[in-house]
Amino acid sequence: MNIRSCTRMIAATAAAALLLTSCSGTSGTTQTESAGTAKEGEVTGAIGVTWWGGDQRNELTNAVADMFVKEHPGVTIERQSADWTGYWTKVNVQAAGKSLPCVVQIQGRQLNDYTKNNVLIPLDPMIDAGTIAISDIPKEVVDAGRGTDGKLYFLPYGVAYDAVGINTTLAQQAGVDLPAEGYNWDDFVSFLTEAQPKLPAGVAAVDSRGGITNFFIGWAQANGKQVFGEDGKLGFSKEDLTGYWNMWEELRKANVTMSADKTAEEPTSTEQSYLATGQVMADTLPGNALTPASKTLTGAHSDQTLTSIPYPSGPNGSGNPLYPSGFAIAENCQNVPTAAAFINYFTNDPAAGKVFSADNGAPSNTKVLDAVLADASLAATKKHELELYKQILAATPPIIVFPPGYQATFEASFARNYNEAAFGRMTVAQAVDAFFSEANAGLGQ
Amino acid sequence: MTSGTTPQQTLTKTSAGREATPRQLRWRSRKAREAAAAYAFLTPWLLGMVLLTLGPMLYSLYLSFTRYDLLSDPKWVGFANFVQMFTADSRFLKSVGVTLVYVLVSVPLLLVVSMLLALLLNKSMKFLTAYRVLFYVPSLIGASVAIAALWRLIFGADGIINQVLAVVGIHHDSSWVGSPHDALTTLIILAVWAFGSMMIIFLAGVRQVPRELYEAAAIDGAGVFRKFFSITLPMLTPLIFFNTLMATIGAFQAFTGAYVVSGGTGGPIDSTLFYTLYLYQQGFAQLNMGYAAAMAWLLVIVLAAVTGFFFWTARFWVHYGDE
Amino acid sequence: MMSTIQARAPRPIFGRKQSTNPIIRAVVRHALIICVLVILLYPLVWMVAASFRPSNQIFTTLGLFSAHPTLANYTEGWGAGRLNFSRYFINSFLIAILSIVGNLISCSVTAYAFARLNFPGKKFLFAMLLGTMFLPFQVTLVPQYVIFNYLGWINTYLPLIVPHWFGVNAFFIFLMVQFIRSLPRELDDSARLDGCGHFGIFARIIMPLALPAIGVVALFSFVWSWNDFLGPLLYLGRPDLWTVPLGLKAFLDSTGQSSYGGLFAMSTLSLAPIVGFFILAQRLLLEGIATTGIK
Repeated sequence: MNIRSCTRMIAATAAAALLLTSCSGTSGTTQTESAGTAKEGEVTGAIGVTWWGGDQRNELTNAVADMFVKEHPGVTIERQSADWTGYWTKVNVQAAGKSLPCVVQIQGRQLNDYTKNNVLIPLDPMIDAGTIAISDIPKEVVDAGRGTDGKLYFLPYGVAYDAVGINTTLAQQAGVDLPAEGYNWDDFVSFLTEAQPKLPAGVAAVDSRGGITNFFIGWAQANGKQVFGEDGKLGFSKEDLTGYWNMWEELRKANVTMSADKTAEEPTSTEQSYLATGQVMADTLPGNALTPASKTLTGAHSDQTLTSIPYPSGPNGSGNPLYPSGFAIAENCQNVPTAAAFINYFTNDPAAGKVFSADNGAPSNTKVLDAVLADASLAATKKHELELYKQILAATPPIIVFPPGYQATFEASFARNYNEAAFGRMTVAQAVDAFFSEANAGLGQ
Repeated sequence: MTSGTTPQQTLTKTSAGREATPRQLRWRSRKAREAAAAYAFLTPWLLGMVLLTLGPMLYSLYLSFTRYDLLSDPKWVGFANFVQMFTADSRFLKSVGVTLVYVLVSVPLLLVVSMLLALLLNKSMKFLTAYRVLFYVPSLIGASVAIAALWRLIFGADGIINQVLAVVGIHHDSSWVGSPHDALTTLIILAVWAFGSMMIIFLAGVRQVPRELYEAAAIDGAGVFRKFFSITLPMLTPLIFFNTLMATIGAFQAFTGAYVVSGGTGGPIDSTLFYTLYLYQQGFAQLNMGYAAAMAWLLVIVLAAVTGFFFWTARFWVHYGDE
Repeated sequence: MMSTIQARAPRPIFGRKQSTNPIIRAVVRHALIICVLVILLYPLVWMVAASFRPSNQIFTTLGLFSAHPTLANYTEGWGAGRLNFSRYFINSFLIAILSIVGNLISCSVTAYAFARLNFPGKKFLFAMLLGTMFLPFQVTLVPQYVIFNYLGWINTYLPLIVPHWFGVNAFFIFLMVQFIRSLPRELDDSARLDGCGHFGIFARIIMPLALPAIGVVALFSFVWSWNDFLGPLLYLGRPDLWTVPLGLKAFLDSTGQSSYGGLFAMSTLSLAPIVGFFILAQRLLLEGIATTGIK
């Protein structure tokens, strides 16, 4: 070893380092929005679209995006998708960095967190200009996209609802009839209580669902209780919630429901739910989960079938709120005309609707809905889902305006506090108190 | 002989004012060159610190004194977050409790289990490589999304554990992972299940102990336990120290297992609400990023104290080979 | 150390004489290990077995065998989404390899400075090094995102790779510091006599001897990079950039249809590279870790 070999080696290493730093060696473009050569109103240039979903949803959304790109040469769409929880983490981080993609999928439950902070732009100017059409969308559904200031912030394209899924085979075996149309919560409770003793061992009439917010909101609406007040805080009373939770606790203690710990371990995905595996007779089921749940049920027990009926109604009418999802435009978007055109296309174009085949709830546009229903190749369960939507819509369901802080606080706190009562850690009264203080602290800020 | 650098002009005087000897000059210039070289070597790390790490760290420290919901600008609130943590947040205290239990139970278990298995896999034997790989594999999948499904399979109400128990006559019908008083236990088991990396470290350490020591002890009549406590254990103390410290820091920051198994909720009813999981909920789900930052910096203080304590106690029980 | 042990006749263990048939002891040993392995690995074995069952029958049994074995999960899972899983594997590999190289280079030079050189501020900087390990990543996530967004690096691999080239993994640096300190200083001195400056010593003496520590860092670096979910979630929006964990997550969808068959099949496959890497690095590893903490 000598000086010369040392210095030679140093030189070689330095050269290698220089070489490495000069290759960027990565793929991918930079920001999603270009400043755009688009003039006002011209549909061209790049936009980013982000949505939540699994494989199937991604495929269908991408297919529609491809169709839009084909019809509008000069447009490029950068697509981003993630699973439900990852999606919100991502959107929030992007919003913090003011780098949201132009087109953002959203629901009413999160909307006002973003409108409160001017993260999204109103769509009313585009409606007035005719770029976005709402004439074929029922008014209640459109209104779901409005923020607390009354302006429209997202255009609903798919309307989800919750239903009561019932294993008809098990119900038959237990010798009970399905609840009649227009049934109320008392009918529902007696339906379950009647069936329980006659069900096979290990099968419960229903899951322990006192902690599911959507069920409660349905009950509140059906019984004329306001869910949220003008100030964004809770609009119902402690007595209301106590009564509701006591109802579920009685069912649970009578073993009409699944035990609390079994419900706690139940996976969140449809295919693994107790309803889809034949371990409960009835359960709350997202409307568009009927098809995958039926498939799973048939796989596990080839002789069993599933159907869905609306939520119980009440003295105030339908207890079946609607939960539309749609696309909004981010405030930092630099290509608003194209974004608006994309949103309009996705929601209103019949060909796009057919390709998307109602994957995220029933199409909000009635013409698209009819076109999908008219499709002969539509699966029976899917047809039932869409028909049920029409039935619910006809009953003029309530649309709820969710205050800021809902997504962050309400659901988790509701479920957790009910579980405190269900596991015997607190009395129902204490749980209600705890929920009220937590929720009111987080809502409507 | 030397690299031929010239003495620095400014270092020609000693502190006493006398002319520095050539030897002292060479020593000083070597020190200066060494420092220069050191900083040259440190350049990547220093750049990374300043550009990528320090900024976010200091920013998060700033955030801990603010209310920040990610969607609007941070608002200064002083110590309000810290006060709220200790006086008005029962879930915070719950998360501290859950994490402490987790640390105090899982770290010793991990150490013991990985040590025992390292001893077991110490002899040269057939299939040794295969065994090592197989014991290591669980720690590779511990962070995967598939873990939630697998964990329910084992610890669910109809899971493997309950079925095995039923075979031996114990009827445990409730779910382990769905019950508030058992859910944390299942996560501790998950941590211990993934002991592979620690075992590999111990294994290498055990194999480094000179055979002659064991042979001499055997001649003197030492039994298995004596050999372990008098030879193996002392020689492993540096590794035990390293592993314990790293495992403790890791356990305080444990996140992924609870996140995946509880679906991010920390449920049922907060029984698996680890500190960093609650922090994550506050920051990203409840949009209280300032509060989350306050929780994070509290953890930094605790970990710094724990590490300092470890290093202080080390002198009493860690034996380095060259002392 | 041995002087305190009195000389006495060997005491039999478990009633057997010390010189039991070594074959029996080996069998007992192997049986014990296999027992523990069965318990330990049953969930994974079940997962692999489940991946060969039709998707809607996966959770119907705790056993391993099924009446209708099928490869559908593998073929469908591999071609899942718009892009094949092969794309995700390639992406993950690319990121992992570049991260490993970056880690090795930046962590070793940093460790050399802390282990071998003296300089003003050394204690303070070392304390800072350890300190960076204490802060949970959840709170640096957003500021780092803002930085990378400002640089225009979103939707590229740069945020996942570049930090590793600047020594952000204090764990690895600490590990290598421990190792280098165990190497005798005489080797440095003899190299210096031959005219090597610090860099020469580093490159020609320390690094070759540090090969085992390099094996450790390489293995852990690979595993952590391969399994990283949150980084790719935030920085890789476009599906053609996705890594394996993102691809796996897409199989689960609480708002629609999940595919556990595909998830289990692809999870099984995604273990293969890590296990392969481990077998390769194993030799280096076992010699490496031994000296890292001991001295």
